[in-house]
Amino acid sequence: MEFLMFVCTDTEPDTDTTNPPDIEAWAEEGERRGIRKQGDQLVPKAEARTVRVRSGELLVTDGPFAETKEWIAGYDLLECKDLDEAVDYASRHPMARFGRIEVRAIQPWEG
Amino acid sequence: MEYLMLVCTDSEPEPGMTGPEGIEEWLAEGERRGIRKQGHRLRPPEDATTLRVRGGKLLITDGPFAETKEWIAGYDLLDCADLDEAIEYASRHPMAQAGRLELRPYWPNEF
Repeated sequence: MEFLMFVCTDTEPDTDTTNPPDIEAWAEEGERRGIRKQGDQLVPKAEARTVRVRSGELLVTDGPFAETKEWIAGYDLLECKDLDEAVDYASRHPMARFGRIEVRAIQPWEG
Repeated sequence: MEYLMLVCTDSEPEPGMTGPEGIEEWLAEGERRGIRKQGHRLRPPEDATTLRVRGGKLLITDGPFAETKEWIAGYDLLDCADLDEAIEYASRHPMAQAGRLELRPYWPNEF
């Protein structure tokens, strides 16, 4: 099963500073296990542009699609056998502690 | 430049536009021009799982990373000459009318 992982900020990050997590070790583990297909960090939300077309007119606004306290800082595409495996791997991403992570399964068009 | 395009719903769509009708043409154009690398529809937000780790404990909640009227229904990875080209291509996605699209440039360096 494929999952998209949204790597998000959080207004209340972990206060536990022991065992600082390591993004490189996380990415290496994903590669070794063949469960992380791709992923990237994004430029902060101030650079986001939201695009709509209404009555034939193009409307472009600065900022993300919705105003939220938390915002998406990156993403990863995972290939895991089930949600449990995806959650387990995502839970070791550094931003599970410094932010929050949303895991969402990909929906095939046929489905 | 690479962009993550988030395909989102909108509480005020173009009248008569309900979903991604005509998506095939948009996909074919992206392939022909070599500017759409990948993309998927996602499972609905009620199937999302959000996780955080605080004080060494894994906290799992149902639903997306933030509660919003609009929600992310899918994504595409674009490789365009610049933001103008990304906006121009995004504006012809059916969800530019039926919803809204967020464009986010990739962080310039690999982490």
